[in-house]
Amino acid sequence: MRNPNSSVTESFGAAVSSLNAAHLTDGVIRRSKRMMLDTLGVGLLGTSSPVFNVVLQHGKMYQSKENSSVWGRPGTFLPPYYAAFVNGVAVHSMDFDDTWHPATHPSGAVLPALLALAETLHSKPSGLELLLAFNVGLEVQGRLLRFSKQAHNIPKRFHPPAVVGVMGSAAATAKLLGLSPTQSMAAMAIACSSAGAPMANAATQTKPLHLGNAARRGLEASQLALLGLEGNKQILDLESGFGVFYQDYIPQHLAEVTPNGHYRWVLEDQDIAFKRFPAHLGMHWVADAAVNVRTQILTEDPNADLRQIKRITLRVPSSRYIDRPIPDTEHQARHSFQFNCCSALLDGEVTVDSFSSKMMNRKSLRELLHKVHLENPEDNPASFEKMYCEIMVEMARGETHTARCNTFYGHWRKPLSQEHLVRKFKTNASTVLTSGAADGIVQIIENLEKIPDCSVLGSYMQFHKHVTQREQSYYSASV
Amino acid sequence: TLTSTLTSTTRRQHALQRTAPEETVTSSFGRFIQGVQPSHLSPKVIQRSKRMVTTEVFDLALQHCQHMYAPDDISFVYGRNGTKLSPTLAAFVNGVAVHSMDFDDTWHPATHPSGAVLPALLAISDMLPKNSKPRGVDLLLAFNVGIEIQGRLLRFSNEARNIPKRFHPPTVVGTMGSAAACARLLSLDPTQCSNALAIAASLSGAPMANAATQSKPLHIGNASRLGLEAALLASRGLEASPLILDAVPGVAGFSAFYEDYAPQPLPSPEEVEMHSFLLEEQDMAFKRFPAHLGMHWVADAAATVHKALMDLPIRSISPNMVQDILLRVPHSKYINRPYPESEHQARHSFQFNACTALLDGEVTVQSFQNEAVLRPELYELLSRVRVEHPQDNPANFNRMYAEVEVTLVSGDVFRGRCDTFYGHWRNPLSEESLKKKFRNNAGAVLTPDRVDALVQAVDELEYLDDCTPLLTPLQ
Repeated sequence: MRNPNSSVTESFGAAVSSLNAAHLTDGVIRRSKRMMLDTLGVGLLGTSSPVFNVVLQHGKMYQSKENSSVWGRPGTFLPPYYAAFVNGVAVHSMDFDDTWHPATHPSGAVLPALLALAETLHSKPSGLELLLAFNVGLEVQGRLLRFSKQAHNIPKRFHPPAVVGVMGSAAATAKLLGLSPTQSMAAMAIACSSAGAPMANAATQTKPLHLGNAARRGLEASQLALLGLEGNKQILDLESGFGVFYQDYIPQHLAEVTPNGHYRWVLEDQDIAFKRFPAHLGMHWVADAAVNVRTQILTEDPNADLRQIKRITLRVPSSRYIDRPIPDTEHQARHSFQFNCCSALLDGEVTVDSFSSKMMNRKSLRELLHKVHLENPEDNPASFEKMYCEIMVEMARGETHTARCNTFYGHWRKPLSQEHLVRKFKTNASTVLTSGAADGIVQIIENLEKIPDCSVLGSYMQFHKHVTQREQSYYSASV
Repeated sequence: TLTSTLTSTTRRQHALQRTAPEETVTSSFGRFIQGVQPSHLSPKVIQRSKRMVTTEVFDLALQHCQHMYAPDDISFVYGRNGTKLSPTLAAFVNGVAVHSMDFDDTWHPATHPSGAVLPALLAISDMLPKNSKPRGVDLLLAFNVGIEIQGRLLRFSNEARNIPKRFHPPTVVGTMGSAAACARLLSLDPTQCSNALAIAASLSGAPMANAATQSKPLHIGNASRLGLEAALLASRGLEASPLILDAVPGVAGFSAFYEDYAPQPLPSPEEVEMHSFLLEEQDMAFKRFPAHLGMHWVADAAATVHKALMDLPIRSISPNMVQDILLRVPHSKYINRPYPESEHQARHSFQFNACTALLDGEVTVQSFQNEAVLRPELYELLSRVRVEHPQDNPANFNRMYAEVEVTLVSGDVFRGRCDTFYGHWRNPLSEESLKKKFRNNAGAVLTPDRVDALVQAVDELEYLDDCTPLLTPLQ
């Protein structure tokens, strides 16, 4: 019987500490392994981004006795705090990582921290322990998001990964470290003082740092808790605690965790969305609708010249930071309804390459952008659970074509098939890794519960296709 | 090397020319940070800021470096083994030390400005090669930039004028101040300065609930180190929102931390003959004992009562004499603690500080040690305390007061009131009192000659060609 006087915070501390592998259901295992795979793939691709390079140079300032792998950089190791940071940045560098409901990018805050930590532990955790800790990190995020109605809508104030992500990272790393309930609570309390970043930095080069920071600062919180640091023991209960990030905040106790009992994970009830191209989730509705319209146009007239489009009307939810008529940078383009609509119309798809400067600067694209008009219908809420996108294209000769997307392929209501998920991973991973390493990672994740030492993942993440073992020393971290 | 750090990586992701930057609040801050010159520092600002430098990292960080490395205490050090701490971690550790006992300076609108800025600046100075150390006046200027930015940001919100309820101010404006100060010392260009601020915004904000806990000192430590990180990242070319300080409907920037937010651009230093630093108009409060600022009012009020009681024939105070203690203080939950259980809580308890001052006539560093906190006679007094929140006593460091009313068993009533404690900006510590505080603190960990050297270095700071005389005694 739970002590009725125990706080919400205590219930979290107890859960983080007490959940064990037996509580993982098949459904949760399957879903979370898909998330891990996707995260590793987008992370690898992200190691080619300029922002990753900036933070890696920054991280190289630091040294420590214990070091963890930097993804995609053979022979480069950083203190776990900084490895978690740069790898987290890589994961979100192109906005290609998973998205949940209520909205956040849960995996990028957790997995990099766990892998970095795992590599430095004297007794290496098993794949099953990694899986458990990962799910603890997701669960905490999912529960916290449900403490506020405000969290159900596309955010305006604080970027969710910076709010719940650091808490998830703290919980996950606390789990992997085997912290007691009191220490787990302390980890979350300490992490809370590292939470929160404003939305204004979304659609800028700094946005990926929100995930990187969440990963590293959650890890640090756990390490400090292990050393005995304490924070407010009621951090999740108080309006002046975690509640500061929301206008409406109503925390709930987590269900009690009994050693052999059943535990209902949020991931069980609420699946996750995987992106098919690297852009804000809202863009996926637009792209699917646009491709549909394009098909209509070309079906009617296979020789149709899309430059003959006179006017495009986009009916989308109202959300200021993804409404950008003429984006200037790749980051802005990933957060532009208009840009993704026009790319999809012109090319029949949006891909990684759509955001290259060559593709962004195409005359045909820039011209089409000027023809887009945005409408925010009342019945189109700014919520990833409820929004839709409708596109109406008016041709030069007056005929119109309309298409609507309620649920894009990859959304949790219409999940990516396992085949497509693996294909996405391999496409991403093979930009950096050998195909053998990519296949290896797929195998490891598939059999994660049976892997005795999960830190091998770190080694695989460094099997660069262009750099052999012999050349690795050229890439060593130097201070 | 530093040179490579300062060269910004050119980003040519795309061929498009950016449109010429319009004047935004954010860009005005960037231009100020880069453009302000030592000549803009008035004598008064120099004098006031040097006082702040004296009481900050020097006394507390030194005292606590030993504390931090003691075997049975918490050590936040990473990557040691004889190597020097990386600059940001040094800033972190020193910043934690500064706020570890809540002994550092407090401003109006409320924040602890120096602890967020000075550790980072010293860390940068240590980082620079021996023959490229900043001049004393460069350090002083960068310090003042860090303070000024914090003051300006605090004036963007009315909410900021009152004792905080949501976000702990040093974590909101402190990080920004550190970023600004570091950007200045690193000589970043205006755009990089703006980016440093924007990157720092994504590292700002911690909830009040961790005040009065062991985590609170990390708020200042983090502000210092993360501001430094933001400046370092900006120097490498990282970009962030160019409108971070501006009010953009539908997308929160720095405004995320406030309910009401009305930003103003900073005047360009070239436009204005003499930039008026806020420190000129609004002085700083220095604490006489290590506790939340609010405690200083009750301590002074209670000390008056103590003195009156000591004038009585008995010349002693025992709890049996006391029937009732009434405190009239502003309403602020996190400093209203009837029975504090830890030293951190005791530093944030009206009741504790009132009773300590009643018993001892003053509150000191020693008042927060375990033996003192757990005294039975103190507990007895605590159990007789009542708290009232008069309507005319706002939770605002500029306008609050404290009244202590002690009713003896004999029926006699003794009352003390404090409107402005000694050390408040309206009644500043004398140079002598300030130096005495410094010597007491620094002397706990430094040899006397080093203590003297530091006092002298700060005294002459603006004339030093090289700030090494300030750094050496600390090493």
